[in-house]
Amino acid sequence: MTPVQIAEAAVGAVLFALCLAGYIHTSGQLKHADVPAPDDGAAVKRFKKKKTRKKLFFAGVIISVWFLIGFVITFFSGRKGGLVIAFEMFSKRVDVFGVSVAQTTLISLAVCGIIAVLCVLFRVLCVPRFNDRPTGLQNAVEICVEAMDKMVVGVVGEKTGAALSPYMFSLALYMIGCAAVELFGLRAPTSDLTCTFAMGLLTFLLINIFGFKTLGFGGRLKSMGGAVPAMRPMMIPLKIVSDVAVPVSLACRLFGNMLGGMIVMELLKGALGGYASGIPGVAGLYFNLFHPLIQAYIFITLSLTFIAEALEPVEESAKPKKVKKSA
Amino acid sequence: MAAAVCMLVALGAGFGMCYATSKAVEAAARQPEAASKIQTILLLGCALAESTAIYAFVVALILSTKA
Repeated sequence: MTPVQIAEAAVGAVLFALCLAGYIHTSGQLKHADVPAPDDGAAVKRFKKKKTRKKLFFAGVIISVWFLIGFVITFFSGRKGGLVIAFEMFSKRVDVFGVSVAQTTLISLAVCGIIAVLCVLFRVLCVPRFNDRPTGLQNAVEICVEAMDKMVVGVVGEKTGAALSPYMFSLALYMIGCAAVELFGLRAPTSDLTCTFAMGLLTFLLINIFGFKTLGFGGRLKSMGGAVPAMRPMMIPLKIVSDVAVPVSLACRLFGNMLGGMIVMELLKGALGGYASGIPGVAGLYFNLFHPLIQAYIFITLSLTFIAEALEPVEESAKPKKVKKSA
Repeated sequence: MAAAVCMLVALGAGFGMCYATSKAVEAAARQPEAASKIQTILLLGCALAESTAIYAFVVALILSTKA
């Protein structure tokens, strides 16, 4: 123990003791004091002052406890704060029965399992109790499902929407579940390029399946070529290239966002060193819950937009309108 | 160094998002009843504008981990 460390610990302990004593003292005073009559200005002022002092002491207790915990962790683990960048582009691999599997794959399977178990429990325990007049949990679930239905049907129409809405909802659940895993110190599967690319490919498949299903083979080719028949041989290859770019861009967008959030969190943890208790949890609420929610929304909206684009039949413009010459 | 140059793309994305947001605010102020629709379109547009920055970020990461 160096003298600096001893001084730090002493300051922390003294601060903690002072704040705790002050808090107990003021709260004892407050307990015995009567609430003053509202017309007695001076007494009200004194009462309010005491309340503020109590709050200040409470904050002091929390800060000093945080400091002491950080000190103990730093002392025993020897971690030092500073600019530490410790992240891997791709996740670690583990051996499962002799097969090398990425860690994130296992985590994503676990997330799927947890979501499936929760869904089965929900179906068995909660759904039979639902009735026409929704209360509590039923309200929340109905709001979520109806919002998703409205969004999907609004973009792709009634017929396709009925098939797509459950898929999109489970996709959103999966993405949020994956991101929430990071709060427990594991690596989020969505910050692995393979996972996001798989999701992009699923969107690509959906685009083509629904496109061919609703328009037919010839119709889809026509709609890819655009309105002008003469331009079609040139336009179709271009359209194919831009269609292939869709899953790549979706995958890279999600991957970059999730990895960016992870790196910010790692930097924060690295910078705080041993004092990284409490604060990263609060920051994680934004980077691991709110931000993935927005990203899931964007992923779903973009997928729906692309699917809706593939559904639209082409407008035949066989007779080009004659432009009236202005006199 | 190359990675740092890559991140200059973020400048463009920032300007793009700033422009889109300012226009959306103008539109929402002019027609408050269309605010929810404008918000949806704005989110979509921001995501698309942001994606260039994200691509640059991914490329920068690849460059910095390879070198």
